[in-house]
Amino acid sequence: MRALIAILLAASASGCAAVPQNRRARLADPMMSVTDEPLDAYRRQKLYDTREGAAGGDGTAAGGGCGCQ
Amino acid sequence: MERRRAAAAGASSPVRSRFVAAALVIAFGSSRALAEDAKATDAQILGPDDAALRIESMTTRITGYNQYGFGYQSKAGPILGPGSERLSVFEPQVEVVATQGDRITHRVWVPIDVVTAASPHSFEPTPDVVSGASRKLEGGTFQWSTTYKADRASQVALTSGLHIENPFRSWNAGLSGSRALADQNTVVSGSVVGILDWFDRFFITGVRNGRAERSTTMASVGVTQVLTPTTIVHVNYGLTLQEGELGNTWNVVPLANGERGAELLPSSRTRHALVGRMSQFLPWNGALRLYYRFYTDDWGIEAHSVEGQIMQRLTPALYLGALYRFHTQTGPFFFYTLAPVDAPLRVADSDLAPLQSHTLGGKLVGDVPVRGLARLLHFEVEYDRYFRSNDLQMDVVSCALGLRF
Repeated sequence: MRALIAILLAASASGCAAVPQNRRARLADPMMSVTDEPLDAYRRQKLYDTREGAAGGDGTAAGGGCGCQ
Repeated sequence: MERRRAAAAGASSPVRSRFVAAALVIAFGSSRALAEDAKATDAQILGPDDAALRIESMTTRITGYNQYGFGYQSKAGPILGPGSERLSVFEPQVEVVATQGDRITHRVWVPIDVVTAASPHSFEPTPDVVSGASRKLEGGTFQWSTTYKADRASQVALTSGLHIENPFRSWNAGLSGSRALADQNTVVSGSVVGILDWFDRFFITGVRNGRAERSTTMASVGVTQVLTPTTIVHVNYGLTLQEGELGNTWNVVPLANGERGAELLPSSRTRHALVGRMSQFLPWNGALRLYYRFYTDDWGIEAHSVEGQIMQRLTPALYLGALYRFHTQTGPFFFYTLAPVDAPLRVADSDLAPLQSHTLGGKLVGDVPVRGLARLLHFEVEYDRYFRSNDLQMDVVSCALGLRF
C-alpha cells in the first residue's frame, strides 16, 4: 500500500515536468504497454474472475459469463 | 490549302492571346488562393473525410484451459465433499478493428467458450434438457465498441454486447471517455458499464426451477501518467454494485446433518478495487511491468494481488516475456466447509475460500513486417501455470495470430 501511495505521489508531482513527445519513443514499444493486448487480457482476466471470489471492480466485467461470481 | 494556312495563321494569334489570358487568370487566381491559404480548412486541402470502413487489424486467439482440483461446492464426489473440479475449456476469439474516417474507430470482438465440467456431470437423476446440455457448454459473446475522437486530446466510446450460453443470457452497455492533458503526458479516463444477466435457476438436484436475474453496475476512474522518457504509471479505482441472484444456483454446501444444501447468498454486493500499474524500460532493451491491486467488498473479502512481468527484446521484431503473479484473499464471513443447518447465509465455493494463488507464465511475441496485403504479422505463443493453496491447478496454452494493415 505504501508503494502505491509513493507511486501516486510521484505521478502527481511529475505532472508539472512534462516529457516532450520526441523523447517518448521507448514508451511506444509494445513491451511497455501498461496493459496486455486486449484478447490476452480478456482470457487472463477471465481465468482470475472465475477462480477467485475477489474479482471485478477494477473496470472489468464482474457479472457476465460464469454464475459462480 | 491556302484557306487552311490562312485559317491556321489567323487562329494562331487568338490562341496565343488566349494562353496569355489563361496564364494571367491562373496567376491572379493563384495569388488570391495563396492569400486565402490561411483560411483553408483541412477538408478543402485534403478533400472530405472518407467515411468508408478501413480495417486496421484482425486478430485471432485460441486458448485451451485444463483444470484439476477439488472443491466443496462440487457434487462430483462424496456428500460431505470435496468434489472434483475437473474442467476443460476451449476458447477461440476473433477481433476486428476498423476506422471510419479520421475520428471513428469500431471494435468488434467475438469470444466463444466450449466448456466441459465435472460437477454438472454428477447430477442424479438425469437432469432436464437445459442443465444436461450444460455438461458440455457452448457460450459466446458479441461485443461492439465505437470510439469517437472529439479532438486530439479527447475521446468517448460506446460499448454494447450480448452473451449467450445454454442456460444464460447477458446484456451489457457502457460509456467511457478520456482526456489527455499536459501535452499528452497525463490521460484521465472514466467509464460506466451496466450488465444484466438472466439465467435458469436450478435445484441442487439439477432440475430447473424457473428464472433468476442479476444486475451489475460498474464505474471506474483512472489516471495514466508519463513520469520519465522510460517510465509510465497508471492508477485506477473501480466500484461495482451487484443485485439479484449472485450464485449459479447449483453449487452445494455440505451441512452438519450429513446432507447437502444449496448456497444461501446475500442479494447484493458492493466491491471496491484500487489498481496501480507501472512500466519501466530497461537499458538492455527490455521492460519491467509491475501491477498491484487491492480489493475489498461488503461480504468481508479482502484481497491483494501482485504481478511482475519482465520482457526482453531478442530482435526488432521479437520479444520474450516471463510473468509471476501472487494473489491472496480472505473468505466471506459466511464461508463454511461444513455449515450449520440453520445458518442464514452459507457458501462452500472454493473460489470464495481464503486462499493464495500463484501464476507462472512465459510468452513469445512477434511483429514481423510483411509485404502485400498487410503491414505486420503479429503472433503470440503463451503458457501459464496457475495453482492455488486449496487444491486447484490449471494449465493454460494460448496462441494468437493477427494482421496489422
